[in-house]
Amino acid sequence: MSTKTAGKRAMTIKVDYLARVEGEGALFVKLKGDRVQDLKLNIFEPPRLFEAFLRGRHFSEVPDITARICGICPIAYQMSAVHALEYALGISVDPMVRQLRRLFYCGEWIESHALHVYMLHAPDFLGYQDVLELARDHREVVEKALRLKKTGNHLVALMGGREIHPVSAAVGGFYRAPTRAELRGIVEDLKWARDASIETAQLVSKFEFPEFEQDYEFVALSHPEEYALCEGRLVSNKGLDIEVAGYEEEFTERHVRHSNALHSQMRERSSFLVGPLARFNLNYDRLPAAARQAAEDVGLRLPCLNQFKSIIVRAVELVFACEEALRIIQDYEPPALPRAPAEAKAAATGQAATEAPRGILFHRYSVDAAGLIQNARIIPPTAQNLKRIEDDLWRLVPEIAHKPADQITWQCEQAIRNYDPCISCATHFLKLRLEQE
Amino acid sequence: MARRLIELGAAAREHSGEGLDLIECWRGSEDVILVDAVVAGEAPGTVRVWEAGTAPIDRNAFPCSTHAFGLAEAIKLARILGRLPERLRIYGIEAAQFEPDAGLTPAVAEGIERAAQMIAGEANPCTKHL
Repeated sequence: MSTKTAGKRAMTIKVDYLARVEGEGALFVKLKGDRVQDLKLNIFEPPRLFEAFLRGRHFSEVPDITARICGICPIAYQMSAVHALEYALGISVDPMVRQLRRLFYCGEWIESHALHVYMLHAPDFLGYQDVLELARDHREVVEKALRLKKTGNHLVALMGGREIHPVSAAVGGFYRAPTRAELRGIVEDLKWARDASIETAQLVSKFEFPEFEQDYEFVALSHPEEYALCEGRLVSNKGLDIEVAGYEEEFTERHVRHSNALHSQMRERSSFLVGPLARFNLNYDRLPAAARQAAEDVGLRLPCLNQFKSIIVRAVELVFACEEALRIIQDYEPPALPRAPAEAKAAATGQAATEAPRGILFHRYSVDAAGLIQNARIIPPTAQNLKRIEDDLWRLVPEIAHKPADQITWQCEQAIRNYDPCISCATHFLKLRLEQE
Repeated sequence: MARRLIELGAAAREHSGEGLDLIECWRGSEDVILVDAVVAGEAPGTVRVWEAGTAPIDRNAFPCSTHAFGLAEAIKLARILGRLPERLRIYGIEAAQFEPDAGLTPAVAEGIERAAQMIAGEANPCTKHL
């Protein structure tokens, strides 16, 4: 819907319900000519107040309760929770438990990235409304996506004890560690998935990408020896290099009227970006050779400053997750101590961040001497990216303002989906309105 | 429910309900019954049955999804891919409470048992008249 006002085209674009994102939100954009007069990513999913649910619960219940925050990244919630609580309680885990946690996380990355690349994001680039339209024309592509995702699901179920809200993760390790035979049973599927992921990178790299390079501050966990999943320092491409425990000193959250999710920003700086593009740019040299080769073969080079190309990065991270899972399984010996004893002896506080598929997931817990949670704080990756998404849209819309309203709307939604936003997590909810006056 | 169905001799398994994985899960099966808790405004324990393969399901009764890919989308996608079972039914059991640690209320437990007997009786003729 557009009208002429004082010789300049004015337009309001509204997307009342953003599709292909997890949760409920909307976008409102008001344009006069090529100038954006107002832009709001409205997050109207109600706050879920998980932190309050946790108060008074025993610390051992936290991994299973926080896993309920998200249907697609429950492992991330479990991993951030167990690491934060182990830090608070002074618990060290068996080295093989550490490997099993990486393996568990690989399963979640495979299912989450396969879902986003094929089912949620690819339709944007191919001009389809959704994966149902895509499936009508490219059945074999969707069949491959289903099988890829199934491999991730299978690995999660194998590690998590069951498919419904995995229950094996515990503070101190796992209630049950898998046998070698159980893990060997998924090797052939993972080899197929690795090859399918390389093909995925080749497929999505041929999509048409808008010219949209931005001066992002990328933030990710960084570990000296591995592509970070559960441990490392928080680093950025603009000089940040801190222990995870210092997160709340460097990053702030503020409430904005149009969002039930808080907006994060760096103290005395501005928005920042977490997720695949940040990890790729900051930790490229720690990707396994097969993943680096997959990136090189499709012309994905450092630095990659175009968030629309995050779909290629997710495909490269799929290769990583399969390779890493295969490596861990090959070297696997069941841990001598699957679960280290965990008990509270005094009041303590612990923080941790792990790399959820969408980026850093920060948790902080305070427990009392009886092991009961006194305070909790959870900062999911989508909340960290929300201000950055709005910043991208403020810069993108003027560049595409000359296009018809439906094309502006399409590209705005695509730019939002670049982040694979999980609004259910961020409120611990997406809908788009574009207004041309 | 899955445990009870297995006790009654039916081929059953527990599943997360995640839409895309359901398509893989029912691969090769001709007659599939999904059982889930629903919130359809009925009395707790009420059992409702939908013929999902031939008629649209009540989306309000199945509001949960993962990244907008719930049961309704899975059925549509399976139909396009030619992977919808010949017959697909959904047994919905009206829930009473969802709080952590909340057990089953007597009415819901009774509804589960009634649905299990209905399904097992059909899946296994030997138990039909129990």
